[in-house]
Amino acid sequence: MMESAPALALEEVSKRFGRFAAVDRLSLQIEPGHLAGFLGPNGAGKSTTLYMIPRLVRPTNGRIRIFGVDIWKDFKRAIRSVGITVEAPAFYEYLSGRKNLELAARLLDHVSPREIDEILERIGLAERQHDRVRVYSTGMKQRLDVGRALLGRPRFLILDEPTNGMDPEGTQEILSFLREKVRNDGLTIFISSHLMSEIEEFCDTVFVIHRGHLVVSGSVKELLKPHERIVRVTFQGRIPDGDFISRHQQIRKAEPVTADTVEITLAQDDSAWLNQCLHQAGFRVSALAPKQKTLKEFFLSITGDKPHV
Amino acid sequence: MSSPLLTLLRNEVAKAARRKLPYFGILAAGLGCVITYFVAGRLSNAAATNAWGYVAFSMQVVFADIGPIFVVVFAALLLAEETSAGTIRAALAAPVHRWELYLAKAVAGLLYMMVFSAAALLFSAALAKLHYHFGAVGDSLGVVYSRNHLMQQFLLGYALSWIPLAALVMYGLLISTLVRSPGAAVAVGISTLYLIDFTKPLLGLDPYIFTRYIDYSWLNLAQIAQGMDYQWCPEVWKMVKLSGVSAVVAFVTGLVVFVRQDLNH
Repeated sequence: MMESAPALALEEVSKRFGRFAAVDRLSLQIEPGHLAGFLGPNGAGKSTTLYMIPRLVRPTNGRIRIFGVDIWKDFKRAIRSVGITVEAPAFYEYLSGRKNLELAARLLDHVSPREIDEILERIGLAERQHDRVRVYSTGMKQRLDVGRALLGRPRFLILDEPTNGMDPEGTQEILSFLREKVRNDGLTIFISSHLMSEIEEFCDTVFVIHRGHLVVSGSVKELLKPHERIVRVTFQGRIPDGDFISRHQQIRKAEPVTADTVEITLAQDDSAWLNQCLHQAGFRVSALAPKQKTLKEFFLSITGDKPHV
Repeated sequence: MSSPLLTLLRNEVAKAARRKLPYFGILAAGLGCVITYFVAGRLSNAAATNAWGYVAFSMQVVFADIGPIFVVVFAALLLAEETSAGTIRAALAAPVHRWELYLAKAVAGLLYMMVFSAAALLFSAALAKLHYHFGAVGDSLGVVYSRNHLMQQFLLGYALSWIPLAALVMYGLLISTLVRSPGAAVAVGISTLYLIDFTKPLLGLDPYIFTRYIDYSWLNLAQIAQGMDYQWCPEVWKMVKLSGVSAVVAFVTGLVVFVRQDLNH
C-alpha cells in the first residue's frame, strides 16, 4: 500500500439515478492523519458519496481510491484499512452487542477477543455487552456502531452521523476517544454530522457539498477566518451615534448588539484605524475584535439552505 | 482468517441458529408427521401397508405443503431482512465480495432445506418404527425387495428430493433479492408458489415447472413400498434437468441483480 497516497481520493465521481445527478463530477482528497468533515444540506449527495466508497452504490463515472488502491480494482485490499459506519446503525437485534461485534470481526484479519473486550470497554458497553441489541438505546447502538468500525484497527474511519442520538456526555466521550486515536495512531477520519459545532470543533478540514457538487473545501481555520471588515466593539460609557457614522465614509454600518456593544462594518480591513478614530472622537473602548464566523453562518452563506446534513 | 466463504457461512448459521423461524419450521414438520401418523390409514392404503409406506406418505404430505412454505420463507428472508434492517450495508462494508455473501446465503438456504428434510425424515422414521416394520417387500409378481435394497432406494429417493427443493431455495433467494421488505418477500414467495401451482395445469405449463417434482421421489417410493412396479427413468432425468436448470437460472439471475444493486436505501 502506498503510504504517501491520500487516505481517500475521489476523482470526478458521478452518480446518476435516471436523469437525476445525485453526485456530479465530485473530486476530493483527504490526506492521512486528517480529520475531515463532510457537510451538505438534505439531498446534496452526501450519503450517496459515502455509500460509493464501500461500493454500496455503483458510481456512474469516476475513480475512488483508498490509500492509493482503486476500490473497483482491489476492493478487499482497499477496504481492509477502512472502518465505516453508514447512516442509522443497523444490527442483528436478536443477538447481543458482543455477538454482533464477533460476527463482524470474523470477516477481518486477526481480531482477537481481547481487542473486542478493549473496544467494548472504550465505547462504554462492557457491562451491557451480553444484552441483546434490541434493548439498547439509540445512543448505545451508535456507540456499538463506532465500535464495529474500529474493529481490525483501521487506518481510516468513515463516520456518518456518529453521534446521532447520543447524550452530550457520550458525544464528548466518543469524540475525545477518536481525537486520541488520530493523535496516537495517526488515524484518518472522514465524518459527516448535522452538528456544525461538532465539525467545527472536531475537524481540521471541511468539504461542503451542494446539489451534487463540491462547493467549498479547505481547512476549518481558513474558512472560519475572522471577518476583518466586521469589528465588534465594546464601549465604556456612550456609544457612537448616527452622526459619528455619517461623518466617516469608511464605516458602512453600525449595529448595536447589546447596550454597550456595537458591530461595525468597515469598507476596508482596518480595525487599527477604527480604534484610533474612536479614541480621537472621545469614545472609551474596552474591547475591539474582528467578528468570528461560525461554521453554521459560513455554511448558510455558501448553500443558502438550512444547515441539514 | 479462514476462507471468506466459510466465515460468511458460519455467520449465517450463527444467525439462523438464534432465530425462531427455523425451529418453528422443524416443529411444524414434526407436527405434520404426527398428524399423518394418526390419519395415515384413513388417507392412504400405502401409508398403512408398512413402515416404508408410512415414511413415503408422511414425507409426501410434509413436502406437499409445509416443507415448500418453510423453505421458501427461510430463503426469502435471507437477503430481504438484511436489506430492510440495513445490516447488509455493514456486512458489505467489510472485505467481502457481494458474490461471496450471496453464495453463503444460498448455501445457508440449502443447509436449512437439508436440515428440514432430514428432521422430517427422522420424525417419519421414528413414528413408523412405533407401529410398523421396516422389512422386505414383495411385488405382485413375487419379486422380493430386501430391506437393504429398499433402504438404498429410499436414501436415493431422499437425496433426489433435494434437487427440486434446491431450486425452491434459489427461487426464494431470488425473491429476497428483488423484494427488499421481508414481509413482502415472504408474501410474494408463497403467493407466487401457489399461483404457479394452481395455474400451471390450466396453462399447460405443468411439464415445464420444477415444482411438480417436489414430492416426486416420495410418490415413487410409496409405490415401491406397496410392491408396485416403479420407474425412476426417464422421469428422474427430466426432474434433474428441469430442477437443475431452474436452480441455476434463479441463482444466476439473483446473483447478477444483487451484485449490481445500489444499496442506498
